[in-house]
Amino acid sequence: MAMLEVENLRLYYATRKGVVKAVDRVSFTLEKGETLAIVGESGCGKSSMAKAIARLLPRNVHTYDGVIRLDGKNIMEMSDEEYRREVRWRQISMVFQGAQNALNPVLKVGFQIAEPLMIHEGVPKEEALARARKALRMVGVHESFADRYPFELSGGMRQRAVIAMALITNPKLVILDEPTSALDVITQANIMNLLKKIKREYQLSFIFITHDIALSSELADRVAVMYAGQIVEFTDADEFYTNPKHPYSEKLMASVPTLRSEKKLEFIPGAPPSLLTPPPGCRFHPRCDKAMPKCREEEPPEVEVKERHYVKCWLYA
Amino acid sequence: MSFKGFVRYTARRGIVLFLVVVVAIYITIIVANMGGKIDEFVKGDLYLQIAQQVKRDPQYKNLPGSEQEKIIKAKYEQEIKRLGLDKPFFQRSLIYLKDAITLNLGRALYMTSDSGSKLVRNIILERLPATVLLFTTAMVINFFIHLFLGLYLSRNYGSLFDKIVIALAPTSTIPGWFYGIFLILIFASWLHVLPYGGLVDVPPPTDPVAYALSVLKHMILPLASWIISGFFLGIYGTRTFFLIFSTEDYVEAARAKGLPGRLIERRYILRPSLPPIITNFALGLIGSWSGAIITETVFNWPGLGLVTWTAIQNFDTPVIVGVTVIYAYLLAVTVFLLDIVYGLVDPRIKLQ
Amino acid sequence: MSEVGMEYSLKGILRELLSYKSGIASIVILALLIGLSVYTVVTIPPQKAIAMWRGENNMWIENPRNAAPEWMAFFVHKNLPKTFKVASWEKSFGIVKAEAPLPGTSIKKIHIEMSFNYPYDDFPSEVNIFFRAKFNASKNTPLVKIYWIKPDGTRIPVTEMTMRDPNQILYVSVDQQIYNNLVMWLQKEKGITPYKTVTTQQILFGKITPAMAQGKVDVEKGAYKLVVDATTYNKGDDVDLKLVVYGTVYGIAGTDHLRRPLIIALLWGTPVAIAFGLTASLAISIIQLFIATISGWYAGIIDSIIQRITEIYMIIPFLPFLIMMAAFYKLDIWTILAVVIVLSIFGAGIKSTRALVMQIKEYPYVEAAKAYGASDARIITFYIIPKILPPLVPGLIGSVPGFVFLEAALSLLGLGDPYLPTWGKIINDAYNNGALYKGYYYWILEPSFMLIVTALAFAMLGFALDKIVNPRLREM
Repeated sequence: MAMLEVENLRLYYATRKGVVKAVDRVSFTLEKGETLAIVGESGCGKSSMAKAIARLLPRNVHTYDGVIRLDGKNIMEMSDEEYRREVRWRQISMVFQGAQNALNPVLKVGFQIAEPLMIHEGVPKEEALARARKALRMVGVHESFADRYPFELSGGMRQRAVIAMALITNPKLVILDEPTSALDVITQANIMNLLKKIKREYQLSFIFITHDIALSSELADRVAVMYAGQIVEFTDADEFYTNPKHPYSEKLMASVPTLRSEKKLEFIPGAPPSLLTPPPGCRFHPRCDKAMPKCREEEPPEVEVKERHYVKCWLYA
Repeated sequence: MSFKGFVRYTARRGIVLFLVVVVAIYITIIVANMGGKIDEFVKGDLYLQIAQQVKRDPQYKNLPGSEQEKIIKAKYEQEIKRLGLDKPFFQRSLIYLKDAITLNLGRALYMTSDSGSKLVRNIILERLPATVLLFTTAMVINFFIHLFLGLYLSRNYGSLFDKIVIALAPTSTIPGWFYGIFLILIFASWLHVLPYGGLVDVPPPTDPVAYALSVLKHMILPLASWIISGFFLGIYGTRTFFLIFSTEDYVEAARAKGLPGRLIERRYILRPSLPPIITNFALGLIGSWSGAIITETVFNWPGLGLVTWTAIQNFDTPVIVGVTVIYAYLLAVTVFLLDIVYGLVDPRIKLQ
Repeated sequence: MSEVGMEYSLKGILRELLSYKSGIASIVILALLIGLSVYTVVTIPPQKAIAMWRGENNMWIENPRNAAPEWMAFFVHKNLPKTFKVASWEKSFGIVKAEAPLPGTSIKKIHIEMSFNYPYDDFPSEVNIFFRAKFNASKNTPLVKIYWIKPDGTRIPVTEMTMRDPNQILYVSVDQQIYNNLVMWLQKEKGITPYKTVTTQQILFGKITPAMAQGKVDVEKGAYKLVVDATTYNKGDDVDLKLVVYGTVYGIAGTDHLRRPLIIALLWGTPVAIAFGLTASLAISIIQLFIATISGWYAGIIDSIIQRITEIYMIIPFLPFLIMMAAFYKLDIWTILAVVIVLSIFGAGIKSTRALVMQIKEYPYVEAAKAYGASDARIITFYIIPKILPPLVPGLIGSVPGFVFLEAALSLLGLGDPYLPTWGKIINDAYNNGALYKGYYYWILEPSFMLIVTALAFAMLGFALDKIVNPRLREM
């Protein structure tokens, strides 16, 4: 039994223009200690997936169903209050995109990191703050910053603080949604190193969402490629970076420059599809150079081409 | 929170505001004296004072009128020179400025305070509490109504109540005193359940509790008129406000952290939004001082506004100028107090 | 996160505006109001309006005082009396004038009979007789005897008098002499002493019953006649008269304490209110736009100075200052407008526009423009102003009601333009003449109605525009 099992997860939004199928029947599994990278273009539904897993739903939800099993228990069935008390931050925590805004500007940084301890574990304030200071140290921020306000920290420090905040309750799963896209390259490298260190030392499971394929390769054990609200390929990282099977994945890898080899870079023609009215059949078919007539009509099934390597394409069915 | 930093901030704001008040009063004086009005009443008052002095002085009391006139005139000219009132306008204006700042506002031409004093300062200060009572109460009531109902609406936005509030928001462009006229029409003129105006029943009850109740009864309509006026737009404003603030990323982060709803509301929506809310409250309070004049006239409420109205009716120039000066001070004090509150609430200010 | 300056097309905005109910309603109302203004200014030019409002030449003397609007009759289900007049010089069926000179003298006997019908359910508010006689006041003046004939034929002597002035006015309903005559007649002929509250009109137009002693009188409807027997003593003398029986209702809006038809002020208040409100709003917005732009663009010392001036403005109490100026110097409405504008230009609106300007200043395309050598003026006009203009519009429209009420407030305090008939003036008159105590509700309700409609129309339009133009609100 895997630590995280997601089956047929759906998240649709109701908008003025119609129903947006942001997450459309997504299934995957994650073992304890594994890091899953979810990659894809802007607008493919990656962030919505993160929100779907963490149950951070907006007001205009149209459909939200599926199965999410955490250590065997289906957390989708829990009531909101039960979910809040049992799952939020205790089992699943999040590191948000653009951490500058994830911190409350009028509360001290240390307090915000200590908050989950006080709320979920009933830890008294002094002790919680002490643990928060320790957490800050662990992510490479000096303890004294615990008494400062977010606007007094630099972007990189804030991101570290947010990571410290996500780890303080020792959750089973940490979802990181584009944790470094708002930072400069050097800070980005530092954060990635920090994450690698944490991954090594604490055996946590990460879900790392990004549009930067090269970046994802630093942390990922497993890779899932999202396109138009669906996972089109799901395999081990090594397998993915060397031998992608789905035409979209191939194109993605072909567009990333490599350091030590000569490579002719390609691009993917066309634009990402609308999640309101996705193309019929296989959603990638309008941009796929290997498209067959069948691709236009029927949605391809998920095929296990190798052990733990799934592809959603008619080429392999 | 550094206490020293806070004190420094407060002191700085105080000094700046005081300077601003000085400039504002100076402008008032210049404008008021464009038609020589201030000169007129200052000199007139001086003449009167000297005349009274001379007439009471045992030395001169028994002299014939024409002799007295000559002495009065001579003393008057003397005083004018001594006080520097014969100097060019610029210097005179500075003298008036000094007087105004120290609230030496001269004596009224016709009006008298309830305690019998003719000093403009007393006339005005006597009536100030009534104005403060009415308008501060109105502002505070409105503040809490808008806050709680706005918060409630931001949670239930899109509901029927929400739609009604949005549709009726334009009714807030009608000022409170206008609603006041209608309220008087309905409740006093037609239904005879509430008084037409004034502070207390006539004759006023001697028992303090009964007196207080009577004042409260008389406050109902003026308060109601301002509550009705600000109601829909105020709620709409705070609701939109809270909606915008609740879509902030850190609110979502707080939700993700599993914090309970009420806590999020208090700590993540209310606290960060306090500075702008306070600014709005400040602007509203400042605006309400001005609106006081008409409201008090409509309701015959014996406050600063009514003093202004009576002064206008009687062409009592010194009182009119004095009122304007007091209002400037009132505004400055309001701004100052709110700056302090702002400083307490927004950490970004405290630390800079 | 703020989306500065979406592109707006006038047509697009108009179309979206019409999709809101409030948008349609406000546009319709405003179109009506503007149409009314134009109509008013064309049919009653300003000079004429002021003259009419001053009541030059006693022009309103034949109007009832404090008459309610005619449609009031609908609410009280009574046939409320309207004013009617009969003049002896008219050639009409019920009017007879016979002259009989006395041979051998210059004495002439004149006999006038004027018949009229009184079908109303209520008593008239006033009865006056306007004489139009010809005689020389220094010589023997005509003697006039007046009789009143009720529908049942009862003949009541009203009064006997010697004329003083060819254009004399006999205020029948308030004349003490006439009242005494009538009471005496009642006592002698009918044995009734009317209660002290019974008025002359009630005696003249009421059913004569013993109930009069308790003060209860019903209207006697029917055909009345006024008979006047006059004797003139000099050749060429003549006596003519006009009877005016004043109703309790008049026209579409009623009259005020000076008999002026309220409709004039209601009509004329419209262009005044709209012009005042719009002009103030527009002028202030445009001037603030420039000040904010200069402050934000040039920054540095200019910005600091402007900021300080803004702070000073905040402390100067707007209304008391305005009142002080209006009280000391008799101001006409355009000067008031100018003062209002000057007192508002460095107001709070500058802060937000300035912040916006400072934001746009940093945008790359502005930098690019500077790089290719565009002058400051060019950048300001073509890059900055188009972006900061749209967010201003809703505020502009939305602040119009405030100015309309400001003008009304000044008039209410008696500080407005003393000659112009405006809505605020009507309320001022109403208040000063105790309209609320005397129950002349229409006097307050009619101008209030106009104020409310105007304010709401502008406010609704402003809110609708705000929803369209403000990007943050669009998401809601």
